[in-house]
Order: sequence, then C-alpha cells, then structure tokens
Amino acid sequence: MTVFITGGCKNGKSTFALQCALSLSERRPRYYVATMEPPCDADELERIRIHRAARAGKGFVTLEQGRNLPVCLEQADHSGVFLLDSVTALLANEMFPTNAQPDETATERIAADLGTFLGAVEHAVVVSDYLYGDGIAYDPVTERYRRGLAYLDRFLAERCDCVVEICLGRPVAHKGRLPALEGKT
Amino acid sequence: MDIIIGGVYQGKLDYAKAQFSLTDSDVFFCSECPVLDLTKRCIYGFEQYLRACAQSSILPQTEYPAETVLICEDIFCGIVPMEDLERKWRDLAGRTLTVLASKANTVTRIFCGLPQQLKP
Repeated sequence: MTVFITGGCKNGKSTFALQCALSLSERRPRYYVATMEPPCDADELERIRIHRAARAGKGFVTLEQGRNLPVCLEQADHSGVFLLDSVTALLANEMFPTNAQPDETATERIAADLGTFLGAVEHAVVVSDYLYGDGIAYDPVTERYRRGLAYLDRFLAERCDCVVEICLGRPVAHKGRLPALEGKT
Repeated sequence: MDIIIGGVYQGKLDYAKAQFSLTDSDVFFCSECPVLDLTKRCIYGFEQYLRACAQSSILPQTEYPAETVLICEDIFCGIVPMEDLERKWRDLAGRTLTVLASKANTVTRIFCGLPQQLKP
C-alpha cells in the first residue's frame, strides 16, 4: 500500500506518517528515508533530533538520501515499508544546489525518481507540505518552487492508493480508506 | 452555479474542464479588472476579479447564470495582511464566496488534483 500525506506546517504529518508506516510493516523491514541535507541550521538540527527520537527503538533503518532517491533502493529490501519524509526537502535540495543557480529541471527529475521509487516498492508512506492557501504572490524563484512542489503532490496523489490531509493531527482522507492505525481512534 | 475552490496549482481548471466538458473558449480568464464576461460558461481566477473589486471599491456581482462554473483560488489561509488592500481583498473573497456557496448547486474543493465534495 502507498500513502501520500500532506497538510499544514507542524500539524502532525510526520507523527501520523510514522504510525502509518508502523501499522503497514508488521514483520516487514522498516526504512526511514531521511532527506535533510547538511549543513543544517539550529532549527533543522532540532527537527532532526525530534524525528530521530520519535522513531528510536521502532526498528527503522535510516537511509540518508537527500537527492537521487532511487539510489536508496540499492541497499534495501523492496518488500519493506519505506517512510519518505519529505518531498518538500527533496525538491529544495535538488532545485537549490549550494553555490549554484536554481536547477529548473529538478521538478521533472524528482517526479521521475518518485515514479521509479513507487514502482519498485510495495509499501511506502510519502510526506509533503501544503503551501497553497495564503494568496501571496512570492518572488519568481519561490513561486517556481511552489509550483514544482504542487506538481509533485498531484503526481503522488494520483499514484498513491491513499491520500491523507492532516489538520491539527486529524486525518482527512481524500482518496482511498485511511490506513488502520494500531491503538488509535 | 457550480463553485470550484482550492489552493494555487492544485488542478482546479483541469478538473473543471474534465467535469463540465469545457474548452479554453468556454473560459473567461479574470484579470485585475472588475468586469466579468458572463456569456462564458466558466469564470477562472475569480479571486483576481475580487481583487479588482476591492481595489475599486465596487461590490462584486452576486447573481450568476445557472450554468456558470466559478473557479476561485483559496487565498484565505495566511497571516492577516498588513496592507489595507490585501486585507480588504481577502475579507471580500471569504465573504463573497461564502454567500455564493450558499446559493451554488455544488461546491468542490480541489486538493492535490483530487475533488472533495463540500456541497451537496
């Protein structure tokens, strides 16, 4: 089963995604695809610390893959459950390389990578961010990033079995049925 | 009237075209001008029309032909804007769409390309 999760900032997407991955995995191997690239600032390091603590002791193998997503499949059992958090970071990493101009081809490349990834694995939970409801016209570079992420979100929403919006920690199913989470109502 | 609402880049127009068998020639693309062409079946970028209304202090149109498909971007979910026009625009958009939605046959929110039926 493949699940796409998105929603507002700090609304509980990662927590829900983790529960979702656990409920899908039972006896399968668990992989956490970590996407944040160093150097990270203090806020990012704190987020990484929180995410690590949340999955500690839950049997996840961490695959550091901030770009070139399909590479992480080379060292993994494809019948496992893959938790990819987040598409937002993947696109930022590839569109805004350090000390270089924004890469205009990043969106299409990541869409292809995500297609390869979803085609290769049986179970995946993919997390993105919903950035589309503020009516603000950003500068062209930011707007290109936002358009690119929306394109990837729509691509994933079409490909995944289940699409869930998280609002204040509560899941809203937009496609498919919500995965049954153990011990949760 | 049928209303389609959703965030920027979510696939509102693609959905409208498929759902109501529309082509580009059926669509009036709003610019920042407080006038609508209601001979076109579909009004796209209604938020731009509302912005022009806010700018010119004109009350937006409240009556629409029964077959009108009205597409509006969700601009309601940010910080209260500091600038007067931005604030007026957002308030006008929220109020106007809420009234229009109460009259509409259907209201559909598009989320990542997927329709969510809000009415009926």
